[in-house]
Amino acid sequence: MKLFSGSSNKPLAEKIAEVLKIEISPIETMIFPDGERRVKLNVSVVDEETVIIQSTNTPVDQNYIELYFIIDALKRSGAKSVTVVIPYLGYQRQDHVFRDGEVVSLEVMIRFFESLQVDNIIALDLHSIKIPEMFHISIKHLSALPLFAERMKSKAFNALVSDNPEEFLKDSILVSPDMGGLRRIEQISEMLGGIPWIATVKDRDLKTGEIAIKQFEGPVKPSDLSEKRALIVDDMISSGNTMVQSAQLLKDNGVLSCDVFATHAIFSEEAPEFLQESNIDRVYVTDTVFIPEEKYFPKLHVLPVAEMIAKALR
Amino acid sequence: MPRQNDNNLFATLDKDEFILLTGRANLELAASVGKILNTEVTCPISSFSDGELRVRIQPNLRRRMVFLLQPTSSPVNDHIMELILMADAAKRASASEITAVIPYFGYARQDRKEMSRVPISASAIATLLINAGVDRIVTIDVHSEQLEGSIKQPWDNLFASYSLLPAIKKLHLKDLVVASPDKGGFLQAAAYAKLLQTEGIAIAYKQRDIAFNDVSNTLGMIGEVKDKDVLLVDDIIGTAGTIVHAANFMKQKGARNVLVAAAHGVFSGDALQKINASGINELIISDTIRPREEVLKNKKITIVSVAPLLAEAIRRIKTGESISKALIL
Repeated sequence: MKLFSGSSNKPLAEKIAEVLKIEISPIETMIFPDGERRVKLNVSVVDEETVIIQSTNTPVDQNYIELYFIIDALKRSGAKSVTVVIPYLGYQRQDHVFRDGEVVSLEVMIRFFESLQVDNIIALDLHSIKIPEMFHISIKHLSALPLFAERMKSKAFNALVSDNPEEFLKDSILVSPDMGGLRRIEQISEMLGGIPWIATVKDRDLKTGEIAIKQFEGPVKPSDLSEKRALIVDDMISSGNTMVQSAQLLKDNGVLSCDVFATHAIFSEEAPEFLQESNIDRVYVTDTVFIPEEKYFPKLHVLPVAEMIAKALR
Repeated sequence: MPRQNDNNLFATLDKDEFILLTGRANLELAASVGKILNTEVTCPISSFSDGELRVRIQPNLRRRMVFLLQPTSSPVNDHIMELILMADAAKRASASEITAVIPYFGYARQDRKEMSRVPISASAIATLLINAGVDRIVTIDVHSEQLEGSIKQPWDNLFASYSLLPAIKKLHLKDLVVASPDKGGFLQAAAYAKLLQTEGIAIAYKQRDIAFNDVSNTLGMIGEVKDKDVLLVDDIIGTAGTIVHAANFMKQKGARNVLVAAAHGVFSGDALQKINASGINELIISDTIRPREEVLKNKKITIVSVAPLLAEAIRRIKTGESISKALIL
C-alpha cells in the first residue's frame, strides 16, 4: 500500500502513517508564478494499492482540484486501486436543491470521484445520513461518536466538569443543536446507556442565512433542565453561532455546565474568539480539519481520529 | 364549443431566447458582451461564510440555451469551480444546452505528460466541465489546440486576432515583420503575417528548462529584422520572460520598433516591471483576463476587448451560423 497526502491536512496524514507503520509517499507540488499548480508523484505506483488523504475544507476549491489532479496522476500512472480518505468532505451541506435554481454541489463532487473511477471512499461524520447513498462507489462512513462517548465516560472528564464525578452521567443531558441531528444524538445516547436528550430548534432564514434558536423540542421538558450538565453534540462547528445560541438557551434554562462535542472544526470567521467568549465551558473537536495555531483557544480540546482511519484502511 | 387556441400556448416560448450567465472572474467583459447582444447578464454566485461557493440561478432556464462566461484565470481553482457549479445548476434548471465560454482556459499549459507520474491537468479540467453538464466549450487562443480532442463534445477555439488585427492595422506600421518568440508560435506568426501582408517572418529560438520553469533564454533567430518594425505575437504573456527576451533580442538585431500582440495578459510576478524596462514599444493585449488596475494604467499597454468576438460567436452558436467562415481569421 502506498499512502499519499494532499496539502490540506498533512499532520493527520502523518499520524495515520505512523499508526500504519508506513511512510507517506512524496508528492512534489510545483507552484507556477500565476498560481497554477502541478503535482507530481515521486514514486512508482504501478500495480499498487494507493491511498490519498485530503480534507476538502477551506480553501475548498483548491483542495478539491488538487485532490482531483492527484487521483488523475495515480490513475494515469497505473495504480491498481485508489482509496480516497476525506476526513472532512467539503460542499456536503449542499446535498439537495433548497431553492429553485440552486446547485447540488455535493453531487458534482461525487461525480468527480466517479468519473475518475475511484475504488473506495472513507469519510467521517457526514452531515446527512442520505449522503452515502449518493455515492455509486463503495464508501465507508466512520464516526467520531464513539470517541466522544469514551471521553464523556472518562473519569478525567467527569472530574473536570462536575463536583460529583461518580454521578456525572446521571446528571447529564445530551443536546442536539438542531432537529437534523437527532440520529446522532440517539446513537450517542445509546452508547452512554440511554441518557436523556433534548433538541434546540434552529430557525434559518434561507435568504440571509441567519439563525435564531429560541425553543426546545424532544422528550425532556425545558423545566427539567435546571441543575443538569449539558453535552451538545453535532457534526461540525462553522461560525459557532449555532453552538453559542444553543448554549445560551440552555444556560438561560438553568443548566450548570455546557460542553460541546463536534467532529469537524471548520471555524470560519471569528469562530474561535466567539466560542471562547461564549457561555460554553469546553469545546471538543477532532483533527479531521487541520487547525492552525492561531485558531486554537483555551477552551478547545482536540481528539485524534488517526487510529480510527488507520483501522479502516487495514 | 370552440377549441382553445393551442398555438398561443406554444408562442409563449421564444425559441431564440437564451440566457447569459457569468462567473465572478471578469464581470466587465460579461457586461460588454451582454450589451452587444442586448441581453441581461446575471452572476448567480456568492460565497458562504466558510468559503464554499453558493450558486443560485434566478432566471427561468427551462428549454433555453445557456451561455456561461468565465475565464479561468487566477485564482484558477475558484474560477473553475464557479464555472462547474453554474453548469450543474443550469442543468438541474432544465437548460436545453449549456455552452461554457472560457476566454482564457487555465491549466492549458499542462497539456501533456511532460514527465512521468503527473496528471494531464488541462484534460482533467475539460472532463470535469463535461461531467458537470457542459455541452460545448468555447475558448480563445487556447494554448494547445489538441485539447479539443480531450472531450467528445464540440470545442470551438476562437482567435483574439479577430479583435487585435484592427488595432494593429490602425498603427499603419511600415516595413513590418511578424515574429514569434519561440518555435511553437510559428504558425500563429505565419497567420498574422498573411493577414497583415507583411514583408516577412522572423522566429526566435528559445530553450525552456522545465526544472526551472518559466526561465527562458533566447538563443538565435531565423529571419531579418534590421530597420524593420517588428510585431511579436504570442498567446499568453505570463511572467513576460520569453517575450521580453525576444523583444530585446530583436532590438539588438536592429529592429526599429518592437510591438507585441497577445491574447491573454496574465502578467504574473514582475512581468510589468520587465515590460517597462524592455525594448517593447507597445503591447496590445485583449481583455480575456480581467486587466488589473496597474495593467490598465501601464502606458505601454493597450487593451482591446474581445467582447464583439464573443458576442458574435454566441449569436452564431444560437442561430446555427458558421463560426469558422466569419470568425476564425
